[in-house]
Amino acid sequence: MNNPLQGISVKSMLKKLLTEYSCWLSFILLLILALLVNPSFFRWSNVTNMFVQAATTGIIALGMSMVISAGQIDISVGAQVALISGLGIVVLNKTNSILLMLLFSLVIGSIIGTLNGLLVAKGRMPAMIATLAMLSICRSIINQIGQGGPFTVSEKNFDSFRQIAAGSIGGGSFKIPYPMIMFIVMSLLFGLIMSRTKFGKHIYAVGSNSVSAKLTGVNVDKVKILVFTVTGLLCGFSAWIYASRVMAVAAASAGNLYEMEAIAAVAIGGTSMTGGRGKIIGTFLGALMFKIINNILTMANVPTFLNGGISGIIIILAVLLQNIQGRKK
Amino acid sequence: MQIEMKGIVMDFGPVRAVDNVDFTVHPGEIIGLLGENGAGKTTLMNVLAGTFSPNAGEIFIDGEKIHMANSLQAMRVGIRFIHQELSLCDDLNVFENMFLAEEIIGKNFLLDKKEMARRTEEVFKRMGVEIDPWTLVETLQPAEKQLVEIGRALLFKSDLIIMDEPTTALSTHDVERLFDIMRQLKTEGVSFIYISHKMPELFEICDMYCVMCDGRLVACGKFKDIDEQQATELMIGRQLADEVFANKPYYGTPEVALAAEDLCCDDFEHISFELHKGEIIAITGLQGSGRDTLADALFGAASYTGTITANGNQINRKGAVIEHMKHGIAMVPRSRKERGILNDLSIYDNISMAYFNTKFKNLLISKKQEKERFDKAKDALSIKTDNPKNPITSLSGGNQQKVILGRWLEAEASIFLFDNPTQGIDVGTKFEIYHLILRLAQQGKAILIFSSEYPEIYKIADSCIVMYKGKINKRLSREEITEKNIMFYSTGANLEGGRNE
Repeated sequence: MNNPLQGISVKSMLKKLLTEYSCWLSFILLLILALLVNPSFFRWSNVTNMFVQAATTGIIALGMSMVISAGQIDISVGAQVALISGLGIVVLNKTNSILLMLLFSLVIGSIIGTLNGLLVAKGRMPAMIATLAMLSICRSIINQIGQGGPFTVSEKNFDSFRQIAAGSIGGGSFKIPYPMIMFIVMSLLFGLIMSRTKFGKHIYAVGSNSVSAKLTGVNVDKVKILVFTVTGLLCGFSAWIYASRVMAVAAASAGNLYEMEAIAAVAIGGTSMTGGRGKIIGTFLGALMFKIINNILTMANVPTFLNGGISGIIIILAVLLQNIQGRKK
Repeated sequence: MQIEMKGIVMDFGPVRAVDNVDFTVHPGEIIGLLGENGAGKTTLMNVLAGTFSPNAGEIFIDGEKIHMANSLQAMRVGIRFIHQELSLCDDLNVFENMFLAEEIIGKNFLLDKKEMARRTEEVFKRMGVEIDPWTLVETLQPAEKQLVEIGRALLFKSDLIIMDEPTTALSTHDVERLFDIMRQLKTEGVSFIYISHKMPELFEICDMYCVMCDGRLVACGKFKDIDEQQATELMIGRQLADEVFANKPYYGTPEVALAAEDLCCDDFEHISFELHKGEIIAITGLQGSGRDTLADALFGAASYTGTITANGNQINRKGAVIEHMKHGIAMVPRSRKERGILNDLSIYDNISMAYFNTKFKNLLISKKQEKERFDKAKDALSIKTDNPKNPITSLSGGNQQKVILGRWLEAEASIFLFDNPTQGIDVGTKFEIYHLILRLAQQGKAILIFSSEYPEIYKIADSCIVMYKGKINKRLSREEITEKNIMFYSTGANLEGGRNE
């Protein structure tokens, strides 16, 4: 007697799989593809390497997820990373304190982010324009301070600071690098914020319909400002890890195209580009997928210069797919 | 040109706006289309003018079947629609608006602005209005905009002109001019469909009447065979359902829930009134009477001067929605789609949002409690849904409105502002919502209803405040609430020498 019902549930499960879990589906398909191109893809060192590579932009993408879910965009993140990591190294060299450098990075990031937010919410500027201006300002400041040259970590701090990105816990062949842990922990934290806190619900409400949000008592301006502040904070955190990974920050090229990678992770992860819908798990997987694709391209001997083009195509496909799904609804 | 519509059906989601309507217009005929708001008049006309394509039915012009693909095509066959809401582009000047999509191109492939301005002037001269074709539409008064809109339909030769409440902003003089032009065109064989709520106008200009009710065409005939009373009965002619409301008890108590004192802003001035617990007051007024802004101001969504006292506590931070909410004020906003629902969010989240903002103190949201909150609202309001995790847009308009009302039950509000609460909702659900409102009043909640629908006001309000040009023109007691009185005071007829009488 349950047969007809079962028929429905299989169909609805399939539909659910295709819409709600489409992100997992493409992730698994991509893993299979990666395995075909590179049989040793699942070797632990390769896996951790992928996480380490994804961590810097992935952490920023968590903030980008918030910004986009609130119906905004932030294209200044790459320039923020350049500015903060460059200045961060100056602070490290002066104070010899890694912790002070972290604190400095977080504070500067929050300030830049808040400025972005104020321009958007109080200045009524389109986010694209406000953050474009901020991109230009940040990049210009760090270029001027560095006079074109790189910011290098002094020899005294070299070994200790390198540990942030290169260090790991565990031993033998099973090591978990610090950046991987930071990325996973941050993703869990932001997943919780977005799905289970008032702030998270407010973000979706603002991105969905800011007038309705206002009329249920949501402080729309505050939410808009805060999402940019949090993104700035995460840029600061990411810049700290980035500095440790490169040890010499080139003012003109540091953090280049990070905005692209972060937005790509969010888009691939299925977050609606017009705001209101999306999940952190999607962004988490999106950031990983972006690196897996790069990994596949390298293994398949696609010229590196073409990587950017292929990334662009992937973003277009991901968003197109979303739109088609949206229209079916 | 003879136009016939046969078996027209138009659905909006689960709501059937037009239900199997046959409608014929003969050449040189002026038909008055009557019906309450939401009866389907405008929708039917939109079908005729090609704005909507119907779910079923056919349109014949002079016996020939025609497929109306869009409004441009309708214009080409000679059908013009003067819309109720002004559909002019504010940033263009008058003649650019008049010729929009039908611009005159000169020999040099550029716009022939001079010719367009000249022809615009010609039409205005005929209408007896003085508007410079080169002025920006943005700077025009509402009445002038309406005249431009009418002029647009007269610019080209047409066979049928549909007018959807064309005179709401016009003075008596302008209306007379319009009628003169209509009579003249009629002798040339042009037909009109005239939608209006103003009985005297209908009786003056129209030959035939057609009455719509709940999406159906219920009566047709000649105006000379009926009087105003009969026309009203045909229109409202609604069954037993009304009688439940006819003897509605007064639930009001002496305790004042909401007191407004000398509220002023750009759109209204010197508004003062008291609302008691359990009392239902309707506030009505035409477009531009300040009614919408007053609703927003009482909820803190528009800034104002003056004082609002809710449950004995004066509200200090004016123009902050959350402050008004914390004093127990709730609002079911007008234009549900744009201002009510959080369209991407689940039904759960839509129900809980106001609660989150006023009562919720924990760090993490418990899914179990969210479900409990929903179940409570579902039982109280009989919301129909198969899965509350679905986005709110999966519900019908009426159920969406119930969810929005449910928000405030969770937030334990005591003063409810309903702003046009049954807009775009089918009749059955409308009645459910009226009953819910009455039940709230019975429980001692204080209720303000902002509405332009007389049947709604008549059914549930204990008294009615009529606004005119930003001021309270009249407060009608329950006995005094009649369509005629509401129209009389909302057009300011008592102040301006009975110009609409």
